[in-house]
Amino acid sequence: MKYNSVTIAIGALLLVIFATLLFMFQVRTTEVAVVTTFGRPTRPISEPGAYFKWPWPIQRVYKVDQRIHNFESFEQVLTSDGYNLLLSVYVGWNINDPKMFFPRFGGSESKAQSSLEGLVRNAYSGVVGRHPFVHFVSTEEKELKFSDIENEMLQRIQADAQANNYGIQIKFLGIKKLELPESVTKLVFERMQSERQVKVSEIQYKGESDAAAIRSAADLESAKLLAEAEAEATTIRGLGDLETAKSYDVFKQEPALANFLLQLRGLEDFLKERATLVLDLETSPLNLLKSAPSAPNTKK
Amino acid sequence: MTTEEIKLTPARRTAPIEPPPPPEVPDDSSSQALSDALRSSFAIIKVLMIGLVLVCLGSGFFTGGPQEKAVILRFGRPVGEGEKMLLGPGPHWAMPYPIDEVVKIPVGVMQSVRSTIGWYATTAALEAAGQEPPPGASLNPERDGYLFTGDANIIHVRGTLSYRIKEPGLQYAFSFSNASNLVQNAFNSALVFAAARYRVDDVLTHDFAGFRELVQRRLVQLIDQQQLGIVVDQIALQPIPPRQLKDQFNAVAEAEAKRGKVLNDARTYESQAINNARAQASQLKAEAQGERSTLVASVAAEAARFNHLLPQYRANSELFMRQYKSETIHRVMTNAQEKWVIPPGQKRLQIDREPPKLKTLPQKPAEPGHE
Repeated sequence: MKYNSVTIAIGALLLVIFATLLFMFQVRTTEVAVVTTFGRPTRPISEPGAYFKWPWPIQRVYKVDQRIHNFESFEQVLTSDGYNLLLSVYVGWNINDPKMFFPRFGGSESKAQSSLEGLVRNAYSGVVGRHPFVHFVSTEEKELKFSDIENEMLQRIQADAQANNYGIQIKFLGIKKLELPESVTKLVFERMQSERQVKVSEIQYKGESDAAAIRSAADLESAKLLAEAEAEATTIRGLGDLETAKSYDVFKQEPALANFLLQLRGLEDFLKERATLVLDLETSPLNLLKSAPSAPNTKK
Repeated sequence: MTTEEIKLTPARRTAPIEPPPPPEVPDDSSSQALSDALRSSFAIIKVLMIGLVLVCLGSGFFTGGPQEKAVILRFGRPVGEGEKMLLGPGPHWAMPYPIDEVVKIPVGVMQSVRSTIGWYATTAALEAAGQEPPPGASLNPERDGYLFTGDANIIHVRGTLSYRIKEPGLQYAFSFSNASNLVQNAFNSALVFAAARYRVDDVLTHDFAGFRELVQRRLVQLIDQQQLGIVVDQIALQPIPPRQLKDQFNAVAEAEAKRGKVLNDARTYESQAINNARAQASQLKAEAQGERSTLVASVAAEAARFNHLLPQYRANSELFMRQYKSETIHRVMTNAQEKWVIPPGQKRLQIDREPPKLKTLPQKPAEPGHE
């Protein structure tokens, strides 16, 4: 009896597991699923968890990855002003409606990607062809429409995917490469080369002229400084003259004496150093050497 | 089991007394062997079963690392709500597969992606050897990458983006089939975006920091828009001019260096000239100041002397003047270096002698004679 109960328990457990496998299925958080009844999609499942189904061949479950996938595309396009651009974009897309997605693509992501490729190609010619080259590449912020182009392409692809009932959603789009045809790069190099040469002479010229400007400005500045100092010096001297004027008033009391002193001072200053005097005997006090003193008689 | 043994033993004992049923003898030994075998195999199976159950339950234990979070998916659905579904470091237990699945998210671990869409075609072997393939005349868009700048120049830029998964990391772990690929493409896109509005010289030299800043800003914007759920840690970029035009770009750099030198020389000249002028100017002013004070002082002294002499003069001007004059003449004559006295009547003076050599220059020749 004991073995029997154990056996029964084990048997029942196995049965439950078997039934579970037959009647239940899991949808992972990264997945969406669709249940088909006799081959027709009847029940889409977008929430993760465990679900019930009738066993095959009545119902079948198809699960698809609903995570965002990376799709890249590379295309040569003509801008509205006739430039050839090699543009590479990447697209983040995912499956959001398994009920639509499943019958169209049979659950195959690669099939969906090739349809997506067609949409992206349409967006290339439809959107890029309406923009001139400067909308892609420019130093003028106003001209650039880089993000706008990305957004236009995205909206276009989103609208197309919606209209075609692909059951997929385009999350974002970005330009990841922007190049020119190989033959054009050669021309660009030639232009860049001449630009470099122009730049070298420009820099040389600019350096020299800037240096000359600095030098002449410095000369001007120092001349100005000197002239100002000169003027100030003259003012200072003038002040000195002004200050002495008061002292000169003193001399007015007796101009004769002042004059006399001034003359004597002048004489003394004049004959201060290394002077050679040639005098005759008439000169005072040499006249004393002669005979009788006579009236003094100065001689300069 | 014991009951069976007990049952079997009397049967053996009675064998000599009663003739045993002929098929029983072989049955007896074979069934015994069978039951023994069954018994031991049952025991082994039991131990195995218990072991398996234990292993099964035990395998549910796992530990979270210091830089990761774990999420338990029960029947595919995360266990817990919001932040609570994230399990930190330490031991945890999950039910065995297929009921539970443990997903570990390396939050806080530094990850990096490289961008080479702006770099010429090279191989890992050449890269390791520090060499590069010889540049061709043009760039093949299939193989060679480059960026197109706002002033329509071609440059090469490559870079490394270091990033971490932003907490809680559910977005990064569950929303993308290949998240690092999308991060790399966002990085590529940010580079193309930034280059398209920068001048070639600004990227290479003048404003490289600004360029990198713009790349980072754009990248962060894209990460937000696309909800990649990462944090940018660092962006390292390496820009170079196209190898085809290396010499030309070097020539520009040299010209700039030379220009810098010329300008520096000019600035040195400027500061010297102005400093000299300042020094000269202040000297001029100081001199004037000096002259002023000397003049004022000397005139004041003169005036004082005048005041001093005035009473004497007023007392007897004739005498004062004579006295004063002869004093002065005396002084003058004493100071004079040479004196010649001409006797009365002599009208001519012959001077023919070497002028005395003095240490101080300029020496006036002796005055010509006077008549």
